[in-house]
Amino acid sequence: MKSLIIGEVNNNELSSGTLEIISKAKELSLDFSVITIGNSETKNIGCDDFTNTYFKSNSNKLNLSSCANEIKTLIEENNIELVLSNSSYIGRDLIAFLSVDFKTSPVSNVTNFEISNNELTAINSINGGESEYKVKINSDIKLLLIRPKSFEQTEITLNDSFETKEIQENENSIDVFDIHIEEKSGPQLEDSKIVISAGRGMVESSNLKLVEELANKLNAAIGGTRAIVDAGWMPYSNQVGQTGKTVKPDVYIACGISGATQHQVGMKDSKYIIAINKDEEAPIFQISDLGIVGDTLSVIPKLNENL
Amino acid sequence: MKIAVCAKQIPDPANPIEYSNGNVVRPDEQVLDDTDRYGIEVALQLKEKYDAEVTVISMTKVGTEKGVQQALQMGPDKALILEDESLVGSNSLMTSNVLSELAKKVDADIIIFGTESTDGYSGVVPQQVSRILNVPCISYVKNIEIDESVTLTRQTIEGSEKINLPEKCVISVTASGVEPRYPNFKDIMAAKNKPVEIITKNDIEFDTEQNMNFVEIKDISTSKQGEKITDEGEAHQIIIDKLKEIKAI
Ligand SMILES: Cc1cc2nc3c(=O)[nH]c(=O)nc-3n(C[C@H](O)[C@H](O)[C@H](O)COP(=O)(O)OP(=O)(O)OC[C@H]3O[C@@H](n4cnc5c(N)ncnc54)[C@H](O)[C@@H]3O)c2cc1C
Ligand SMILES: Nc1ncnc2c1ncn2[C@@H]1O[C@H](COP(=O)(O)O)[C@@H](O)[C@H]1O
Repeated sequence: MKSLIIGEVNNNELSSGTLEIISKAKELSLDFSVITIGNSETKNIGCDDFTNTYFKSNSNKLNLSSCANEIKTLIEENNIELVLSNSSYIGRDLIAFLSVDFKTSPVSNVTNFEISNNELTAINSINGGESEYKVKINSDIKLLLIRPKSFEQTEITLNDSFETKEIQENENSIDVFDIHIEEKSGPQLEDSKIVISAGRGMVESSNLKLVEELANKLNAAIGGTRAIVDAGWMPYSNQVGQTGKTVKPDVYIACGISGATQHQVGMKDSKYIIAINKDEEAPIFQISDLGIVGDTLSVIPKLNENL
Repeated sequence: MKIAVCAKQIPDPANPIEYSNGNVVRPDEQVLDDTDRYGIEVALQLKEKYDAEVTVISMTKVGTEKGVQQALQMGPDKALILEDESLVGSNSLMTSNVLSELAKKVDADIIIFGTESTDGYSGVVPQQVSRILNVPCISYVKNIEIDESVTLTRQTIEGSEKINLPEKCVISVTASGVEPRYPNFKDIMAAKNKPVEIITKNDIEFDTEQNMNFVEIKDISTSKQGEKITDEGEAHQIIIDKLKEIKAI
């Protein structure tokens, strides 16, 4: 099945979600090519195993509808049947635009897919990850939005052989300003071996310094629930869950998190889960390997002292 | 200025979602999806600024329309609902086609959505509608500032960026940034007298089809028989020992 992967460049690199989809395409020996979207100069995003066309957009424009027009032409000219993208911001916009052009609904939240006898079945995650929903797609063009961390990332050797194409504006492009790039320091959520996440059970935003101290000691990345992101305790980029990031670290430490399904879906595949919560009935304990019924504000300072 | 704002009616989220043949089982009484409250709040702030007319649009099955009432209680002027049993289980593109037609019927300049619904969370409907109507799409809006002009802040992978509100566009609003207002008793009573127009599939142009066949739903909820220990002052040591045992430190 001739396939196209729509990837993205983030901080000058292929995003981990993009690399995961490429790994899966290689595993399935799909006949695939890649286009990546970004808005800055970039280097090592090419690879000998596939072609990569870098669609470079003007960073002062929101230009994705124009970008979708280009991709549409590419799909038609190359008889592409399957289009795969990460369910990130850019991916969702582009796949949605293409779905209108090709009159076919995309499958969102895909965690796996199979091709046999040229038929494609996709599995998507529903119910906050509690159930798997399997569908067979019967349209000529199949559009899949893949949830991050669905596929294991394999070794991919990157080089600088790729083609760059500038995205032009169209009537639906709009000017953007005050572009803010969140500073990234310390271990990143997606690739850290240990993640420590905070919830409303940290009681006050000033107590997050306890979590920061613990993260420093364990060389861990910091995450949070939507409740505390909405409350402004942490930037959105740290949110773990259905509408945030999906993480799969070796150890996940949930501090004062109730464990709503929308949070669980972003972390329950972590290898070892430790939860600290003063409510012994908290749902987070149902997926924990080690549950501590106790006060975060007493347990975490002692951890910090003794580590 | 005319604004259309989406209100999806969903089964009460306090109850577990049930499926039948791949479709969410929808009771006659459904409630307003909380994520749409954020979009409605943005619509109402624009109404106050531009004296705009705000219409709630919704696609739903025949029922009590409680969710639409809840939307009207917040302050929109009226509602246009498409009720049709045959559209139960619509895929995202079918939904988008219907919502686009509803937006056209109310002559909307600006159409406002949640980023993703609580029950379906396909998260592509706003972008599809913008493509169908051929207007700019400002997705993942997380803040709105209103002074002489209107500035929207949208979330991007790397951080955020700002945009001046264009004359015509689709906006999807994420659940943060704005604080949805609570209706008081007067608002609740006033909503009962607001015009609600109900139409069916036959009143719009519609030619979109299902492109997926449902195969199965499998429960994969996991629960672990992990250890649970009540902290008596030594829990930190148990955690440290465990981290050592699994060689995390
Ligand atoms: C469409 C949709 C998408 C969503 N997406 C996400 C998402 O991506 N990520 C996400 O996280 N949520 C998401 N949510 C929200 C989710 O449903 C929960 O509301 C949220 O995860 C709760 O966060 P919390 O655990 O911090 O707060 P709460 O649920 O309030 O839990 C706080 C916990 O802390 C405990 N506690 C309090 N004090 C202490 C103390 N001193 N010591 C120890 N424990 C204490 C309490 O017992 C309680 O269990 C989404 C919701 C919807 C509707
Ligand atoms: N049936 C519907 N009626 C009204 N609005 C809807 C409907 N379905 C989806 N929407 C809107 O589209 C957004 C995204 O929905 P979804 O694609 O289901 O995640 C929701 O937050 C709603 O604002």
